[in-house]
Amino acid sequence: MDMVDPSGRSVAASKALAKRPASLTGVVVGLLDNSKPNARALLDGVGQALRERFGAREIRLWDKPGSSRAAATEVLDDIAAACDVALTASAD
Amino acid sequence: MVLGTDEFRPLASVQASAHGLPDLPVVTVAHPIGGIAEALIRRKAEPIVDEVARALTAAPTASGDLFRGEAPGVHGAPEDLDDFQAWIMERGWGDGLPAIPATPARIGRMLTATERAPADVVAVLAPRLGEATVERIAANAVLAGALPEHFPVILAAVEAVADPAFNLQAVQTTTHPCSPLVIVNGPIVRRLGINAGGNALGQGTRANAVIGRALRLVLQNIGGARPGREDRATQGHPGKYSYCVAENEAGSPWEPLSVERGFEPSASTVTVCGSEAPHNVNDHGSTTALGIATTVAGTAAIVGHNNVYLGGELLLGLGPEHAVTAASSGWKKEDFKRAVWERSQLPLSRFTAENLARFAAIHPETFRDRAPDALVPMTRDWRDMMVIVTGGAGKHSVVIPTFGMTRSVTRRVGG
Repeated sequence: MDMVDPSGRSVAASKALAKRPASLTGVVVGLLDNSKPNARALLDGVGQALRERFGAREIRLWDKPGSSRAAATEVLDDIAAACDVALTASAD
Repeated sequence: MVLGTDEFRPLASVQASAHGLPDLPVVTVAHPIGGIAEALIRRKAEPIVDEVARALTAAPTASGDLFRGEAPGVHGAPEDLDDFQAWIMERGWGDGLPAIPATPARIGRMLTATERAPADVVAVLAPRLGEATVERIAANAVLAGALPEHFPVILAAVEAVADPAFNLQAVQTTTHPCSPLVIVNGPIVRRLGINAGGNALGQGTRANAVIGRALRLVLQNIGGARPGREDRATQGHPGKYSYCVAENEAGSPWEPLSVERGFEPSASTVTVCGSEAPHNVNDHGSTTALGIATTVAGTAAIVGHNNVYLGGELLLGLGPEHAVTAASSGWKKEDFKRAVWERSQLPLSRFTAENLARFAAIHPETFRDRAPDALVPMTRDWRDMMVIVTGGAGKHSVVIPTFGMTRSVTRRVGG
């Protein structure tokens, strides 16, 4: 029996991931808090270790307006302009 | 790169793919991070730092397991109906109940109910960014047991959930139990026999069952919110199988929801509302509007729903007898909304200190630096109390909190 696929295609367009620096020494790390409880604490902990153990120069933090809302385009542009690498939180 | 908890890895991965980045590194700690002491969070951060540093410095690999191009078409499915049920469950396309095979012939019959072309894209559905063409929606409608006459309502509901105001991405992937409740108004209710009377939210009417179920299967299969994977509901609720009701316009003393929202009385509409399960309101005693509003408000006044701190709408589904009692006191619908809003407020002292700290960051006007007896409304504004009349004889109504970060959306059927 023939059965039509009920899922169809996704319109997701493929993009390239950003180039990575060879090491974290001297880089600026951007952290995007998803505003879930304790996300800030987890990001802070990771950020601090990246500075102390891997020589990151600066850790900068941004917020989302709520865990159920996407980050504003300006925020993403800011992060891209100000940071060498970026780390975002998901889940709770 | 993304930092999450292990429970949420599947969601992070599908999210990355939907944004075109299937190879985006995801590093996880053991779930959860919420609801535990901050010192423990620091301890969870320590062991992953090396992995994070690697992900931020290693050259990304291009795998390209991102699916694009032609949609998969037709599969060879088992002829035997019992085997067929196992076959669709293995593929993740079922909901656990028996389904009707979506054969090209059945889909062809479904398509006769619309003038839209099979390849027309009705909506793009999160989180997978699945393309909901008329034909693929029809495939899910067939699986759900819908008849062609139900199809225009299903198409309008799919259009409605894709409205940005509905925030489908979050509704589909949240841990909250919400599911889109489809509320149908207008002449199509009688024409299709959609139940607005006794047991309107319960079992026993084909139209309600298959319309709600078709939307759910569309959201699961095209939208890609698979239970326990991208659909992160902690428990969910039984309405996630199917959640469709009609407004009892004949039994209502007030204008229907569709007219309240600017449609003419002869229009047929669907309204989708990202809803919890119904909470019952038993009031066999009150004989005045104020009495009914007081009991409804008592059921709405709880500290543990989303609306109290996230905002959004709270849906009141009045039984026709409660609505008539309220209208007999001379109250209009907006009087009822306002009274429930005013009488459902709770003092700040009912909330825990940890929650107050969290809520204050989200909505400082209500939660920051206020006295313990300061009152907290259940929605930001009284107009966020939605009212419909539904159900049959009896002295019961329902209160249905919503996801909060969502607004209900109304669309004309066949529009």
